Amino acid sequence: MSFEHCVRCTVCVENCPVFKVEPLFPGPKQAGPDAQRFRLDGEKSVDQWVRLCSQCKRCEVSCPNDVEVSEIILNAQLKYSREHLSPFSSHLFANTYYISGLGSLAAPVFNRVSSWGISKGVMSLLGIATSLPFPSFRFLTLQRGWKRRGRGARKVVFFHGCFLNFNRPDIGRGIRDLLASLGVQVIIPKQSCCGLPALGNGDLDMARKYAQQNAATLARYIDKGHDVVYACTSCGLTLVRDYPGVLDITLGEKISENTYNVHEYLLSLIENGYTELAPAQVNMTIAYHIPCHLRALGIGYPAARILERIPGLTCHLMEDNCCGLSGSYGFKKKNQGISRKLGQLASSAIREREVEAIVSDCGACRMQLSHYTGLPAFDPSELIVESMKKP
Amino acid sequence: MTPLTYDVVVIGGGMAGFTSALYLTGQGYKVAIISKGDPVCCLSTGCIDVLSSDKNPLDGIPGLSRDHPYHLVGKKGITDALNFFKRIMQDTPIPYSGTPRKNRTILTPIGTAKTTCLVPMTMAGSETESDTYIHVISFKGLKDFFPSYITSGRRNIRFSLYDAGTSSTIGIATLFEDKSFRREFISWIQNLELPHGKVAFPAVLGIRNPLKILTEISDQIGREIFEIPTLPPSIPGLRLFRTLKSSFIKSGGDNYWGKVIASVESQGDQIEAVTLKSPGRPSRVPGKAFILSTGSFVSGGLYATRNTVKETVFDLPVFVPGTRKDWFKEDFFQAGHAIETAGIKVDSSFRPVNTRFGNLFVSGSILSHAEIMKNHCGHGLAIATGFRAAKICEEFLS
Ligand SMILES: Cc1cc2nc3c(=O)[nH]c(=O)nc-3n(C[C@H](O)[C@H](O)[C@H](O)COP(=O)(O)OP(=O)(O)OC[C@H]3O[C@@H](n4cnc5c(N)ncnc54)[C@H](O)[C@@H]3O)c2cc1C
Ligand code: SF4
Ligand code: SF4
Repeated sequence: MSFEHCVRCTVCVENCPVFKVEPLFPGPKQAGPDAQRFRLDGEKSVDQWVRLCSQCKRCEVSCPNDVEVSEIILNAQLKYSREHLSPFSSHLFANTYYISGLGSLAAPVFNRVSSWGISKGVMSLLGIATSLPFPSFRFLTLQRGWKRRGRGARKVVFFHGCFLNFNRPDIGRGIRDLLASLGVQVIIPKQSCCGLPALGNGDLDMARKYAQQNAATLARYIDKGHDVVYACTSCGLTLVRDYPGVLDITLGEKISENTYNVHEYLLSLIENGYTELAPAQVNMTIAYHIPCHLRALGIGYPAARILERIPGLTCHLMEDNCCGLSGSYGFKKKNQGISRKLGQLASSAIREREVEAIVSDCGACRMQLSHYTGLPAFDPSELIVESMKKP
Repeated sequence: MTPLTYDVVVIGGGMAGFTSALYLTGQGYKVAIISKGDPVCCLSTGCIDVLSSDKNPLDGIPGLSRDHPYHLVGKKGITDALNFFKRIMQDTPIPYSGTPRKNRTILTPIGTAKTTCLVPMTMAGSETESDTYIHVISFKGLKDFFPSYITSGRRNIRFSLYDAGTSSTIGIATLFEDKSFRREFISWIQNLELPHGKVAFPAVLGIRNPLKILTEISDQIGREIFEIPTLPPSIPGLRLFRTLKSSFIKSGGDNYWGKVIASVESQGDQIEAVTLKSPGRPSRVPGKAFILSTGSFVSGGLYATRNTVKETVFDLPVFVPGTRKDWFKEDFFQAGHAIETAGIKVDSSFRPVNTRFGNLFVSGSILSHAEIMKNHCGHGLAIATGFRAAKICEEFLS
């Protein structure tokens, strides 16, 4: 619904992580529906603070009046970016796909260099935060492995996204092989970045370019009877919501209708009796940190429902905190303080639970929370794969 | 893809919906809550109003209008429900104080006394007649709380302001989660050399563990302290909502948040599933029984057009008091506008009247004739009817 449906109840304000720790950000109500009344097409935006919003979408999930709060803000961010010169770091992060590609090709060198003091100095000059370790890249990306696995009546095309491809291909391979072992035919086609980093950094054109390429590829498989599955919840939200929405991709609706979260998909296989999951004991107490974008998908928490079937596993579900990293948001120097405060808040909530490890569907959440808690962090799929491996 | 069929699907995640859901998960049922957004509870004081007319709220029930939903629950039912609520909260970071048989008052942010029944422990020490002096400590620039409203015209209350460096309730409440902030704040109070008496704060003493924080401050400054609710956004309301939601998740319930119902599937007199509006493919949530607790106009359970009122999920028949000209009194601030009686009329089994659905139960502020603002029965009514609807639903399932 448009801004006119806002009744100014302030529920969204209670839910905004950035507003909680950054007094310069006026909060979703003011940045969204309130300010929207004054944003005019022909007039240059003056609301610089609008860029402080991390697009976590918590405001929108909480709004009882269905106002598309974060969408209004996203459009204002895009407008602002169009009208102003973006800082260098935004261009860099908009194009994480190519950077990651290069990083992965040069993985052994890049991973070393990015941890050197002098590189940190350069990064800082470019507006990149250096307090977090930069994610390291893998040479053997998912794209360089098996592209086709498994046989069976169910067919999926796996949208792995950048993080699993370049940084954690092992998780991607685990998911691929798990699905295959359950009688699902898995295809991993050549694919681009989902487009979210470009969108988040104000580059609508680049985001659309990526989205169009992906949509064309995925639609071809959908026509052949494949379902699309994703593991990264931010890629998922972009495919499902932004392709037909703000990116306005021709095949967007089709992608959106046929795309599933990998755990949602697994669960349906189990509940429909297509397959059985007989996990072995995993004795562990974990905090399952729900990524903001999984909340925003509105599909419930399917991984939690699978994890609860693993004997011996105690799972504390944590959904009230944003990890603060929000993709490339926290890697920008100007957002560093916000990101750190939010990371610490989320981490102290986790530490109160006395857990051995963190589980989260989002690579960025895992990186941030692992850094601030000192605990290991896993993708839910890693635990599921692990529990299936045991004799 | 069809997911598992839930025993019960609760539509609307407010006080009523969570009460039903928590009772049912406690009895071992598989429950899902679907909610369009966060409930009115987030804007409330967190105090449970039951009925404000008498010293014992239950004594006021016979005086209510003939159709008031409290009559369907009865005194014992209401007491059981409120005790259930207290028990649920007992093991959480925000336990409650009070008994269903006794009303009390709390100090409000405008300096008046509000009649209510159960209160969060952080407000248990609120002003009583025997207090000779109270010192209010607020925060520089804090929006939504103006201590001079409280102190004006009263000699036994004064206030001091602390500069927390931020001015929103949620910002300050977040700072209170930080130990070093608390340390500085406490030593600042210790230097104030306050006169003897209680110390009151706007309700911003942390989000997750307010009672722990309150106790820490109280121990260190050696005074009894209490919180005063603020205007919305309300931290005690947020705490209550988040606590209920996480208790529900902990008890094995699933939630689908931020989604509106797009369509309803039914077969004969049974609802089989609802589907959620989402971009692309609607997700389907099937259930054996359904509880509707989508609230009144504020939350969107009811929607008024120029001349009618609609129920937004099942298009149930709605009781409407006359035509639009009968809905409002002349004076807007007068209590008891007729439109407050609008809502869904149910029979003694909490099924909506004049509908074909046999597995649908209705609870909370969407019920007709509740007149919540006039009777001051908000959360109490939601808890009592939510509890009763859940019990009837349980009988139906067995
Ligand atoms: C500002 C304010 C302050 C208040 N303060 C107090 C107080 O201090 N003490 C007190 O006892 N009472 C108070 N009340 C009254 C009390 O909050 C409510 O009467 C009570 O909480 C209602 O609970 P409920 O569960 O019936 O409905 P709600 O809290 O309204 O919850 C309904 C839920 O259903 C969801 N929903 C609505 N439509 C749909 C749909 N189509 N599909 C899916 N989901 C839907 C909504 O998003 C919402 O989450 C206050 C009310 C207001 C407005
Ligand atoms: S929650 Fe929705 S209706 Fe309420 S202030 Fe925010 S945008 Fe407006
Ligand atoms: S998307 Fe997140 S950061 Fe942005 S306004 Fe909404 S809640 Fe705040």
